[in-house]
Amino acid sequence: MSKKKSFQNILMALQSYWVNQGCLLLQPYDSEVGAGTFHPSTVLRVLGPDPIWKAAYIQPCRRPTDGRYGENPNRLQHYYQFQVIIQPSPDDIQDLYLGSLNAIGLNTKDHDVRFVEDDWESPTLGASGLGWEIWCDGMEISQFTYFQQVGGIDVNPVASEITYGLERLAMFIQKVENVYDLDWDGVEQTKGGKTYGDIFLQQEKEFSTYNFEKSNSTILLQHFSDAEKECVSLLKNKDKPLCLPAYDQCIKASHIFNLLDARGVISASERQSYILKVRNMSRSCCLAWMEKNNNE
Amino acid sequence: MNKNERLKGDLLVEFFSEEIPARMQVGSGDQLEDLFRKNLVSRDINFNSCKIYTGPRHLAIIIRDIDLIQKNQVIEKRGPRLGSDERAINGFLKANNISLSDTIIKNTNNGDFYFYSQNLIGANSAKILPDIINQIIRGFVWSKSQRWAYSDLKWARPLRNILILLNDELVEGKIKIGNNTYLEFTNYTFGHRHNEQKIIVKNINEYERLLNNHNVILDREIRKNNILNDIGLLLNKKHLQLKQDNSLLDEITGLVEFPNVMLGSIDNEFMSLPPEVLSTAMKVHQKYFSIIDNNNKLVPKFLFVSNALSEENRNISITEGNERVLRARLSDASFFWKVDTSNSLDHYNKKIEKILFYEGLGSIFDKTLRISKISNYFSTHFNEDASLAKEAALLSKVDLASEIVGEFPELQGIMGGYYSKINGSSNSVSIAISEHYKPKGFADDMPKTNLGAMLSMIDNIDTLTGFFGINKKPSGSKDPFALRRSGFSIVKIMIEFKLNFCISDLFTESLNTFNNSSEIIKTELQAFIVDKFSFILKKEGLRDDIIESIISLPDLYKIPFQVLCKRIKYINNMYKTEEFKFFLSNFKRLNNIIKANQLQENSKIKINKNLFQGSEEEGIFDVTNNLRLEIINNKDEVEKQENILKEIIKISDAIDVFFEKIIVNHEDDIIKNNRLMLLVNLRNIIIQYSKFSLLED
Repeated sequence: MSKKKSFQNILMALQSYWVNQGCLLLQPYDSEVGAGTFHPSTVLRVLGPDPIWKAAYIQPCRRPTDGRYGENPNRLQHYYQFQVIIQPSPDDIQDLYLGSLNAIGLNTKDHDVRFVEDDWESPTLGASGLGWEIWCDGMEISQFTYFQQVGGIDVNPVASEITYGLERLAMFIQKVENVYDLDWDGVEQTKGGKTYGDIFLQQEKEFSTYNFEKSNSTILLQHFSDAEKECVSLLKNKDKPLCLPAYDQCIKASHIFNLLDARGVISASERQSYILKVRNMSRSCCLAWMEKNNNE
Repeated sequence: MNKNERLKGDLLVEFFSEEIPARMQVGSGDQLEDLFRKNLVSRDINFNSCKIYTGPRHLAIIIRDIDLIQKNQVIEKRGPRLGSDERAINGFLKANNISLSDTIIKNTNNGDFYFYSQNLIGANSAKILPDIINQIIRGFVWSKSQRWAYSDLKWARPLRNILILLNDELVEGKIKIGNNTYLEFTNYTFGHRHNEQKIIVKNINEYERLLNNHNVILDREIRKNNILNDIGLLLNKKHLQLKQDNSLLDEITGLVEFPNVMLGSIDNEFMSLPPEVLSTAMKVHQKYFSIIDNNNKLVPKFLFVSNALSEENRNISITEGNERVLRARLSDASFFWKVDTSNSLDHYNKKIEKILFYEGLGSIFDKTLRISKISNYFSTHFNEDASLAKEAALLSKVDLASEIVGEFPELQGIMGGYYSKINGSSNSVSIAISEHYKPKGFADDMPKTNLGAMLSMIDNIDTLTGFFGINKKPSGSKDPFALRRSGFSIVKIMIEFKLNFCISDLFTESLNTFNNSSEIIKTELQAFIVDKFSFILKKEGLRDDIIESIISLPDLYKIPFQVLCKRIKYINNMYKTEEFKFFLSNFKRLNNIIKANQLQENSKIKINKNLFQGSEEEGIFDVTNNLRLEIINNKDEVEKQENILKEIIKISDAIDVFFEKIIVNHEDDIIKNNRLMLLVNLRNIIIQYSKFSLLED
């Protein structure tokens, strides 16, 4: 029997597969985001200026409310997505996707792979699309979306986004039932090999405590309103808006909102207004980006 | 074979796309057939029959005996009016490239006009088809649809190929799906993803079999039956049964092209979870069927339908994969169950204080306080202990703050039943909580217990009163808070649990809990309930006019509900009988005379018996008094309604002889008015029971 692929091997195989399909290999965005979609290479780039944009990257994601102090085998407040964004969506994108599974050692003909309806919507990004979650033997291993709108603006041509949940995928391939047991490097433990738990368990514990119990709401609320102010002011100059720095602030505000939410200090009615604030920020950034790129 | 027969052939059109959501497939098939019928008929192309195929990626239609040549077309064009200026006439001739002798003169409503009728030889259907296909795909409506790449066409998911064969020949053509983007018609399609390759279809009659050979069962019914048969084969020998779930079966039929039914195992440690939690977790997340034994008890097995081709090793590894996923799902569910059951009710009440019911209507906790207040009044009508009713009301919503209901909203109520039981409530209270979301609309299961029905009713009353009070009534197709469903549910319970309060009593207590004293809102609420009542009666097949004759009664809201039901029932039982028909015709005659004479309805003329000239007048006078007594004494008595109706019908004899012997229109106005008043009095008594004048003959 062939050796099961390690987490890092799966990542490398995905990267080289999509590079071979002509994608730029990019790096994660260096700020906390809830999903790979937030990366400017997806959100802003699908709005132009180039009609052709193909990129692949890994993106660490933070979902403070999903923290479980390292005690749940499937839920994490920090995890990895591998994101592929291709615009315009290729006619054979489904086959390309299935090809990527074969490339990481998951022979699709040995499994029950299915495309199950799952429409996607991000209220904070004003974005939506239609697509599927992809099931492999009943396990959701990827998310597939045809972007219709971002920042409330029609995406034209339509882009296809593929998001792999790397931990899920690796758990499936390695037949592991606890995320912390994932083999990260393929090296035997006696020779210094590391599991996912060796690397991330402490992080999960500490951040769960921080997210749920220790974060300072007063400071966070201040951060949120600072980020909002900064975002508005960076876009103020209509002739020379600073789209990317402004969007950077929008991302920060979004993460701070998630932290406040995990801390349980946002009431149901306030929630909606926070989401609206982030949405307004992201929409302004998208519009400014569109305008700037169409004028230059 | 005669010539006409040879001009017919078969048509196959297949739309091949990426996976269409299961819930949209059946509707898309119906729509496809409908659009083809309309488009062919409007172009004078006849055909014999249609067959539709729907699945995840293939949406196809085979049309049998379709005209290969369209019928000849006559196109009539109207020209200028007769006697118009010469330039206008020449213009018309020139535009149509004809001479005056080609026209005819026809008379229309607006005068005489020149007409030119053009006879066009019918075109080859193959030539028209691209246009038809274009109209069909542009006219197709999906509940949700998308663009892709450069398309401006919207489809449920990207449309990748259109196969068209007419009489086994490829129909040449293409459709525009976007700027500079086209989809050419082909004579090929694709099979199951396991052996995906172009499959050229040469013969329409072979289409279904050919796809089957490539592991796609096109016919939805066959797919579904295959699933059911395979389930039977797997379960029967083990003496197990499927937990019936038709919506799940339909959904799965739309998720697979070549069903492969398999059985997996559930770890025993999870079997202590409530069966509803197990089944829901399996169904919602994984689309697995639950399995029961002969005692209707869940067994540690689940059944799933894979789309992978059956092969022993593969089946084993797919089953193991699914078992692993289910373990993870059920571990989550077990964790939630542990957390939920270790929390106190107090903890939940604190949490539901923070969950908003609706802006302006307080929290969920506030709602439970309101319904606990009105429970006292309603418990007597349901013959239930007031303290139990109050307890059930107060605990009815705690589960909305639980982890499991957060994960599976459809388990609301059911979980509340478990949690209240664990925290010491009696069986009747926990059953009431578990069933208080029933019935969901007028066709759903009813609560089984009185207490459950009561809780359901007061919950819905509170919801209606609340939303009507902040002016969020349903209007037109908009009913975002499903208030109509609440209305139906209240009426269904009133009917099934034989509740006998007046509609005017339904909302009084509830309005008090909102400190709302608006008579307008109260009237709107009552009218809303009557509207749902009448809708349900119509659904049950009762005649509109019978329903109308009762719900038009002026004091409707003050009449006990069961009395209304009985009157409708007895009129419905009677109206076909001869005696009732006789009564109705006499009543209408009486009514018409009153109407014709326009006597002030509320005129205070007192009947003067001395003016009577015949025993027939005496007779009317007597039966009126008898009936008045009967109605005064018994009109609100449920058990007396049949008898009152019989008494009313009996009166018909008195009316009949009256009209035979007595002429109302006496020359002396005093006698005439005395007679009219006699009839008015009788009518006014009769229409306290029902507005018989609204009944059709």
